[in-house]
Amino acid sequence: MNKDLRIILERISQSFTRRRDTQYYLQVVNDCYDCTYNFFINIRPRGERLHSIPLHTVEDYRLSYLEKIIDRIMEKYQLSITYDGFVGQKWPVKQELIQKRRHKDE
Amino acid sequence: MDYSKEPHGVFFLIDNKSFYASVEATMRGLNPLKELLVVMSEADNTNGGLVLATSPMAKKIFHLQANVSRQRNLPQDPRLIVVPPRMNLYIKRNLQINNIFREFAAECDVWPYSIDESIIDMTKSWHLFGNSPREVARLIQKTIRKRLGLYTTVGIGDNPVQAKIALDIYAKHDPELMGEIHYETVPEKIWTIDNMTDVWSIASRTEKRLNRLGIHSMKELALSNPFYLKQELGLIGEQIFAIAWGIDRTKLSDNIAPKNHSIGNSQVLPRDYFQKSEIETVIKEMGQQVASRLRHHHKQTGCLYLSVTYAYAARVEGERGGFSVANNLNHTDNDRDIDEVLVALFENYWQGQPVRNLAVYTSKLVTKEAQQLNFFTPVKQQCQAEDKLAIVDEIRAKYGFESIVYANSLLKGGTAIHRATLVGGHNGGNAYE
Repeated sequence: MNKDLRIILERISQSFTRRRDTQYYLQVVNDCYDCTYNFFINIRPRGERLHSIPLHTVEDYRLSYLEKIIDRIMEKYQLSITYDGFVGQKWPVKQELIQKRRHKDE
Repeated sequence: MDYSKEPHGVFFLIDNKSFYASVEATMRGLNPLKELLVVMSEADNTNGGLVLATSPMAKKIFHLQANVSRQRNLPQDPRLIVVPPRMNLYIKRNLQINNIFREFAAECDVWPYSIDESIIDMTKSWHLFGNSPREVARLIQKTIRKRLGLYTTVGIGDNPVQAKIALDIYAKHDPELMGEIHYETVPEKIWTIDNMTDVWSIASRTEKRLNRLGIHSMKELALSNPFYLKQELGLIGEQIFAIAWGIDRTKLSDNIAPKNHSIGNSQVLPRDYFQKSEIETVIKEMGQQVASRLRHHHKQTGCLYLSVTYAYAARVEGERGGFSVANNLNHTDNDRDIDEVLVALFENYWQGQPVRNLAVYTSKLVTKEAQQLNFFTPVKQQCQAEDKLAIVDEIRAKYGFESIVYANSLLKGGTAIHRATLVGGHNGGNAYE
């Protein structure tokens, strides 16, 4: 397991406390300014504010690398993931679109 | 008014729109101006949570204020995104922004003013980038937006104070995020400002003092007698009179040598401290921190200053909310000597009130050239004590503050270990890297 993955998994386990009536999901952002992938865990108790906690910044700016990390995260956690900044890009192995359409305010 | 002899230049004062919140929005791939985002510190000493920054939309919709609003003022609105601060990231962005400015002006003409504001003297270089200062300002805005995703507001003036007022009063509400003040527009731009406290360097106390002199607007200030202002308000009277006329004779390149240096630290405690031993633990930690900073700068202190503020509940109307005391000592940079004086000061003046804020400052600094020995302790012992501190400093420089701490920091109430990770009193965000 490499360092990026270990850090992400460790921090997910800290924040993912499985409280009831609470939505947890991961957010992966293609940061075109820094050329990095930013990981966040978003936590929203029902009807309340969204807490967005940074998990990690992956500096290896290759989609193939990101795909591997995401696959390994999904093996352990079945959290849903939203992608931002990936419009028009496909996963190198799966050949699926990463993000179908641009989100509001993106 | 004859401005012909005043310095004429082209100055930009550029600030980032809701800096922390905008950086966090861009990190999440969001538009800084459209998103409802607040940066909230939930450190122990913020009493639940302190809002450090809010995006422009959040300001507008929820009427929040940075550094004033608390968690209790934040509505439970599902549209709102709350994020923890990452001070190191903001510092990194600030450096990137200043590097962009250096592409438009010489290194010596860019003056960082705060974490999100810089003054740029464009006098010599603006014509290289466009036909008017406004056009150049637009280009700088666009460059920063393109490379970092951030929006900047620009104040343009013939001198730094005009640029600052143009930024504070006009640029923030301008659709192009720009404001301009020149000598010829001073009456229409500065004298018409309704609220005097909106002007840089005039706060509520100065306003009250001015009101007492019968001055209620910038125009009245500009048309008042400067000698009378100086007599009543001192130097500051002259200064604000000059501001009312848009005059600023500062040469940014002048090196200002402060008369006195001072090194110190202050902190808000995570809760009210009642017990003497707990308060003394923190005072000692602060003494050690300040001593370590003195050694880092090769300085020794000749005067220590301790300020204690009581807990909010203990403050009685009309009575003092704390005390500030100072004491001279033989020049030293030794942890123990400094702690001894601080604890003695505290014990002399404290009468059992709960405490919330502490500050320790040192002044009368001298450069350390050699170790001063005394007659009363064996020389060997004195040298060893000195070496011990040097080694502690070395270990900390290499492995971080927490690698070696005094055992008293582990006592109940100690805050040093936790605070070691903070940057500017907030979460540095290294844990998220």
